[in-house]
Amino acid sequence: MHDNEHRLSDYIDQLNAEKKPKDHGYPTADPELQELFHTVRLVRILREPAMPEQDFPAKLIRTVTDQLVPTKPKKKKRAWMASIAGIAAMLTLLLLIHFASLFDHPNIVKAMEKAFQDVNAYHGFLEIVETNAQGKTTTQAKLEIWADKHGRYYIQELEGSNKGVITVNNGQTKWQIRPSEKQVHRFPAFPDPYRFAFELGNEIKGIKQAISTNIIGEEKAANRPSWIVEVTPQGGEPYRIWIDKETHLPLQKQYAMQHGIQYKITYTKIEWNLAIPEKLLAYHVPKGFQEINQNTEQIVTSIDEAKEAVGFLPEVVEQIPSGYVQDRIAIVPDKKLIKIYYRALDKEIVIIQGKATGEWKLAPTAMVGKIHHQTAEIQSPVVEESGVLGAGGPYAGLTNLHSIRWRQNGFEYAVVGHASLEDLIAFTKELTNGAFEMPTHKDPFPFKPQVEVPVDLEREKNDQKNVDAGSSPWKLDPVFVAQVFVSLQMSPGGITGDYPIRYEDLRIIQNNGKEAIVEVNAHNTPIKRVYLKRLIRQDATGIWTVVGYDPAP
Amino acid sequence: MVHGKEDNRVNWIEQLCLSTWESVYRLIYFKVQNREEAENITQETYVRAIPYLQKNRVSPDKQMAFLKTVALNIIRDRWRQHQRRGTTADLEAISPKEAALEDPAEWSVQRMAIEKALNELNEEQRTVIELRIMKGYSVAETAQIMKKKETTIRVMQHRALQSLTRILHDRTK
Repeated sequence: MHDNEHRLSDYIDQLNAEKKPKDHGYPTADPELQELFHTVRLVRILREPAMPEQDFPAKLIRTVTDQLVPTKPKKKKRAWMASIAGIAAMLTLLLLIHFASLFDHPNIVKAMEKAFQDVNAYHGFLEIVETNAQGKTTTQAKLEIWADKHGRYYIQELEGSNKGVITVNNGQTKWQIRPSEKQVHRFPAFPDPYRFAFELGNEIKGIKQAISTNIIGEEKAANRPSWIVEVTPQGGEPYRIWIDKETHLPLQKQYAMQHGIQYKITYTKIEWNLAIPEKLLAYHVPKGFQEINQNTEQIVTSIDEAKEAVGFLPEVVEQIPSGYVQDRIAIVPDKKLIKIYYRALDKEIVIIQGKATGEWKLAPTAMVGKIHHQTAEIQSPVVEESGVLGAGGPYAGLTNLHSIRWRQNGFEYAVVGHASLEDLIAFTKELTNGAFEMPTHKDPFPFKPQVEVPVDLEREKNDQKNVDAGSSPWKLDPVFVAQVFVSLQMSPGGITGDYPIRYEDLRIIQNNGKEAIVEVNAHNTPIKRVYLKRLIRQDATGIWTVVGYDPAP
Repeated sequence: MVHGKEDNRVNWIEQLCLSTWESVYRLIYFKVQNREEAENITQETYVRAIPYLQKNRVSPDKQMAFLKTVALNIIRDRWRQHQRRGTTADLEAISPKEAALEDPAEWSVQRMAIEKALNELNEEQRTVIELRIMKGYSVAETAQIMKKKETTIRVMQHRALQSLTRILHDRTK
C-alpha cells in the first residue's frame, strides 16, 4: 500500500509537470492503481488543457512533411582543392553544397530555416527605396551591414540622411558614432529597441510564424534568380519577400503600400562569414569625439560586489534553465538595482531585483499570475513599466519582449527577456522555489457573467483588421474596452467630454491572456464586473471584446 | 510559378494541420492529461492519418472525425503496447463516415459528474484533491498549506482518490 501511495503521488506530480507519466508506457499490473490513475485524469479535466507553445503548429507541419514528403536525391558535388582563400573558401563551399542540397526541397520556409542554420555571420550592402503613389522612387539609404547569429551587428550608413553614422551592438554594449556631432552615444546592449531592418534571422522567424506563405512567382532580385513569396503575418498587411533560389535566403522585402508610400529593402550584395571582424565590435571613442553615456548600468564581477554596491544580497537561481548560461552581473547604482543577465544562442533574459518601494500596481493589460497567493504581473509583450521594470531599462513597447514581475519578502523582482514565456516561467519558478503559478480558468473567479452581451463576430473581425492596421489601439487594452463599455451603459446617447467612469476606477482581477475580468470600483457604476474575451486572435495583437457583465448590487 | 506536385502536397498538409491541430490536440490532452504526450501523439496522428486521407480523398467535413479516431486508437495502442494482447490501429478498417466523434456535450456531462462526486467527499479529502490535482501544488506545498506532514498528504490523497473512484463507479452502475 505504501508503494502505491508513492506511485500515485509521482503520477500526479508528472502530470502536473505536463510530462508523460512512466505508467503510460508501462501499465502497472495493479488494477486498483490503474483505476486511481484514471480518476486523477478525470479530475484534471476540470482544468483547462495546457496548450503547446506558439511554434507548435510550425513544428507539427515540419515533422509531418519531413516524414511524409520525400526529397529528391541530392546532387553530387565535385570536391575542391584548398586554395589561397583557405578556410573562408572552404566555408563558402560547404555553404554552397548545403544550399544546393536544399534546392530541390519543396517547402521554402523550411529550406530558409535550414539554410540559415549554417550561417554564422554575414556581410552585406542594403538599399532602402521608397516609392510614392505616383510611382516615383527615391533611395532613402544605403547601409553596410555585418551581423551574426548571436544578435551582434555593425552598421555603417553609406548614403542617406544619416550618412557616416555607425551603430554597433557587441552583446555587452551598444554605441553609435555620430561624426556630424563628434559624439559617441552609449546604450544598454539589451534590450535593443532600434535594431536594423531586414535582419535575416528575424525575417525568417517572422515568416515561420506567419498565417500563410505562398510562392506567387519568380523574378531576379539583386541580379539573382529568386522566388517571390507573399507572406501574411499574424498582424498587419501582407508583404512580399524575394528568396534567393540558390542560397534559399531572403534577398529583398517589399512592404504593402501604406498612406501612399511603399518601401522596398534589398541586399544588393551579401556574403557569408565565420564571424564579424573583432575590430568592428571593439568599443572605442574616436579622437576628438565626446562620449555620451546613456547607460547607467555598471558591470560588476561578482554577486558580492553587487551586494557591496546596492546593500543587499540578490536571489540567484540555483539551477540555470537548460540552454542558458549566466552572462554578466550589473548594477544600477542610483536605483539600487541588481541585474543578472542570462544568454542562450539567440535569447537573452535578465533578472532585475531591488527593494520594494511604493504601491504595488499591475499593468492594465497584464495577465495575472500568483506567487504564494500574491499577484504576479505577466506582460507578453511588455506594455507598461512599473516598479523595478520602470527603473531597469527601456522595455515597454518592444515586440517579443516579455516579463514576469512580483514582490516577495520586501523585494521586487522582474524576469524580462527576448525568449518564450515558458523560458521566463522556468527562471521565475527557480527564483520562487516553484511557487509561481500561471493564470488558469479556475482562479479566482469563474468566468460566468450574470448578463451575457451579444457579440457581432463580423464586426469584431473588421475591428481586428483596423487595429492590425494601426487604428483604435485601445481595443488591445481590456481596461480601456471595459471603461468604454461601462461608460456607454451610463451614457447610451454617446460620451461627450470625460468618461463617466475613470480609468483608475477599473482594475483587472483576472486575465489569462484569452479571458479577462475587470472590476469597476466607483459609487455611481451600474456594473460591478466586466467580462472580456479575445475572440479573434488569442495573443498580444488580439482585440478584447466585452462578452458579459455583473450588474452592481 | 514553381508549384510542383510536392509543393501542392506540402501546402495541403500545412492547411490540414493548421485548420485541425487544436481540436485534435485538445481531444488527446483530454485523454492523456499532459502536454508532452499530447504533443507527441498529435504529431503521430497526422503522420499516420495523412497517407490514408490522401489516398482515399476523404472529404474535408470527415477529416476531423477521422483524425480524432486515429488519435484515440494511437492512445489505446500506446497504453496497451506492453500488455500481451496489444492491438494496433488498423487505419484501413476505420471508415471516416462511421468514425465516432467524442461529443463535447458528453465532456460537460462528465465534468458535472466529477464536480458532483467531489462535493460528496469530506472537506479534507476535497481540499487535498483540489490542491494537488486541480491547482497542481507539490506534496510539500500542500503539506504546508494544510499544516500536515507530507506522508499524511500522500495517504490522504490516496484515500480521497479511492473514495472518489468508488463514488464515480456507484454513479455509473
